[in-house]
Amino acid sequence: MFSLKKSMGWRVWGASALALGVLVAGCSKQASEPAASTGAATDQPVQGGTLVYLEQQAHTNLYPPAGGFYPNGGILNQITDKLTYQDPKTLEIQPWIAESWEVNPTATEYTFKLKKGVTFSDGTPLDAVAVARNYDTYGLGNKELKLPVSEVINNYERSEVVDPLTVKFYFKKPSPGFLQGTSVIGSGLVSLATLARPFEELGDATKIIGSGPFVVTAETLGKELTLTARKDYAWGPAKHAHQGRARLDEIKLIVTPEDSVRIGALLSGQAGFIRQVQAYDEKRVLDQKFAIYAPSTRGVNNSVVFRPDNALVADVKVRQALLHATNTKEIVHTLFSANYPQATSVIASTALGYVNLSAKLGYDEAKAKQLLDDAGWKLNANGLREKDGKELVLAAYESLPQPQNKETLQLVAQQWAKVGVKLNVLAGDSGSRTVDSLDPEKTPVAPGMVGRADPDVIKSNYYPTNRNVLLQKGGVSSKVKSFEDTKLNGLLEAIAAETDPAKRLAFTADVQNYLIDQAYVIPVFEEPQAFAGAPSVKGVEFEAVGRPSFYGTWVAAKH
Amino acid sequence: MFIKYLANRTGQALLVLWAAFTASFVLLQLLPGDAILIKFLNPELGLGPQEIADIRAAYGADTSVWQQYQHTLLGFLSGNFGYSVQAGVPVSQGLATNLPPTLRLAGLGSAAALLLAVLLAFASQLTRWGWLRSALQSLPSLFISVPVFWLGIMLIQVVSFRLGWIPVINPGKWQGLVLPTLTLAIPIAAPLAQILIRNIDEVLTQPFVAVARAKGATRQWVLWKHVARNAVLPTLTIAGVLFGELLAGAVVTEAVFGLNGLGSLTQQAVGNQDTAVLQAVVVVSATAFVFINLVVDLLYPVFDPRLRSRLGT
Repeated sequence: MFSLKKSMGWRVWGASALALGVLVAGCSKQASEPAASTGAATDQPVQGGTLVYLEQQAHTNLYPPAGGFYPNGGILNQITDKLTYQDPKTLEIQPWIAESWEVNPTATEYTFKLKKGVTFSDGTPLDAVAVARNYDTYGLGNKELKLPVSEVINNYERSEVVDPLTVKFYFKKPSPGFLQGTSVIGSGLVSLATLARPFEELGDATKIIGSGPFVVTAETLGKELTLTARKDYAWGPAKHAHQGRARLDEIKLIVTPEDSVRIGALLSGQAGFIRQVQAYDEKRVLDQKFAIYAPSTRGVNNSVVFRPDNALVADVKVRQALLHATNTKEIVHTLFSANYPQATSVIASTALGYVNLSAKLGYDEAKAKQLLDDAGWKLNANGLREKDGKELVLAAYESLPQPQNKETLQLVAQQWAKVGVKLNVLAGDSGSRTVDSLDPEKTPVAPGMVGRADPDVIKSNYYPTNRNVLLQKGGVSSKVKSFEDTKLNGLLEAIAAETDPAKRLAFTADVQNYLIDQAYVIPVFEEPQAFAGAPSVKGVEFEAVGRPSFYGTWVAAKH
Repeated sequence: MFIKYLANRTGQALLVLWAAFTASFVLLQLLPGDAILIKFLNPELGLGPQEIADIRAAYGADTSVWQQYQHTLLGFLSGNFGYSVQAGVPVSQGLATNLPPTLRLAGLGSAAALLLAVLLAFASQLTRWGWLRSALQSLPSLFISVPVFWLGIMLIQVVSFRLGWIPVINPGKWQGLVLPTLTLAIPIAAPLAQILIRNIDEVLTQPFVAVARAKGATRQWVLWKHVARNAVLPTLTIAGVLFGELLAGAVVTEAVFGLNGLGSLTQQAVGNQDTAVLQAVVVVSATAFVFINLVVDLLYPVFDPRLRSRLGT
């Protein structure tokens, strides 16, 4: 059949082809201008025009709760509106489709008053009935249509249509994260027609009917989308600087998997905006006075986590030793750029509830060796730590969506090798990766990150019935024998249920401290989403976790 | 006689298709995990164990292998290829979007490859300068060792980004096919040219060539009228086999140029173990492969009168 081996070396070959290409042209431009800050708008905005936006991957399923995947979020953010808008700078929740809202003191009842006259692009009204149906689906799922529950909605019970423009939601238990949850891409509102479709049909973007500033007017599956501005759009976020219809007429979203082709197309003027720029390509882009945008994802940092169910890493001393054996500064300096700040806690410094724990995270090789000695792991003849006849050999799968994850893990492996611990970095097909990642015996170590601007994110990452990255008992995996940390889970539940914002942040701080004290997690860096744009493309904005919004974007005349 | 031959070959072809279907089904079942697991265990969805169990039940992912085989085979026979779990669309829709561009690319690619091979072979025969002849004859070995993706990226970097002749992003329908066709054609042309050159050399040593020359025919006339026809048969056989190479090349070419097609569809499906898509791709490719080779077999008698008489047409 097809030979897929050929694709393995693309990056290397791509790089050499690139080098040759540059040689051919004898290019030696030099310039040094700092990266443009997000959405720097100097000229007068222009109405009209087309933006060519190059995506690295094709979208998968556009059921809004699946919007966490960046290619999906990048589309959903243009075509759907949300009840509320989270200001990406202040993280304040502001009115959007909901003009106002009330929350009862125990955070079990939320009432939203909706804006009048909002319609979906198929002409049906975005009213209380539609909102109620959306949240019933996202909060409870729909088994018949195979629509799963949304990760951001906790403890949902039911909705009530009070009047055509008032909708009320009831929760079984306090759900303080819900208000922020109404602002995320996963809570994009879609028409009743879209909600009536089974899950397996929602990969067709033309079937996702939202009320957003753009509408999907054409699709070549897996390759290209045309988003056209809605002329009658008049319900942007209330406090947004731009109001009325989108400035652009059209966005051409083209899937271009090859890194060098995306960058080359941008620099040669064939595209206006691209997603996913590797740190090693940033200089080339900046040298030609193009802009790099690296919005923070404000969630759980790019980290390495342990699965303590595996006996090799069950001892807290071993995990602490590996935490101190990891030189995150070296990783950031060797592989990344200033857009990838060294991590100082479990969550990003821009995330809600962040506490600076750099004092507990220091790189200290001597301390690491001491801790391993104390734990009874002695160096053997192979230069590896050994205890009771077992060598300290660990394994982790690389995570494909994360930037240079393989290189990151390989560097970690080199650093751990200095204290006598071996880390095997595995590639493997997606099936093996998925199955093995559920088995702590096969993957005692795993990489991970998740973006969301609410303390709930930390709960969903570690809680057994959510993402369960530590692989505790009670989660999806049937391979976990006994590991369960009730103290951690108690703290996580408290975050999800605490209604007093100050106390909620205090719990968030406790969790960060606990995760580091137990050395369950080695935070590496704060992961941004890296985009690049032509100098003529202005007013690109990013929602709170780094997905682009082209609502206020315009393309200035070429000079 | 000919009808019987045709019926025979068609029967064989159907058997091959069934075998390809079954073999790929078994292989895909043997892989660890499945598309539903990969899709729904994706932490981005953050689903709990109960929800995943429900989804698995809804997709019938945990029924017996034999039941799934029957279900899939019956589906295929009735033209229902199932749903792509990853892309969230029916497989038939994915094929309808992706098959035509790949056929176009493969068709143009093989035509260009054939043209290139014939030009190379004839030019190297007709040239009077020995150095040019050996230069032309060594080109195929160079072509054959050029990796498709490297060639593609080079062409893009130079022709599109540096010289600005052809846009890679948003090109016209045919304009956008120029570079991919070249990328695909060059490595395929190489073995064709090699075989053609060798066969021409071989046929040229045959006594009838000397006779024709003695009668006063020009070099060009002999080459075209007498040699080409004899040298083209083995090349034709190889062309049929090279079709597989063409599909493999299309996977890479489509990814490099960001074209949609069977290649990129396959690549995504492999990455996500999207069994329904892979199964359909295998069957479609096998059908094409079998069909091409059938056509090649039927073309033999056209070029070789000896075969024609044996078939009694």
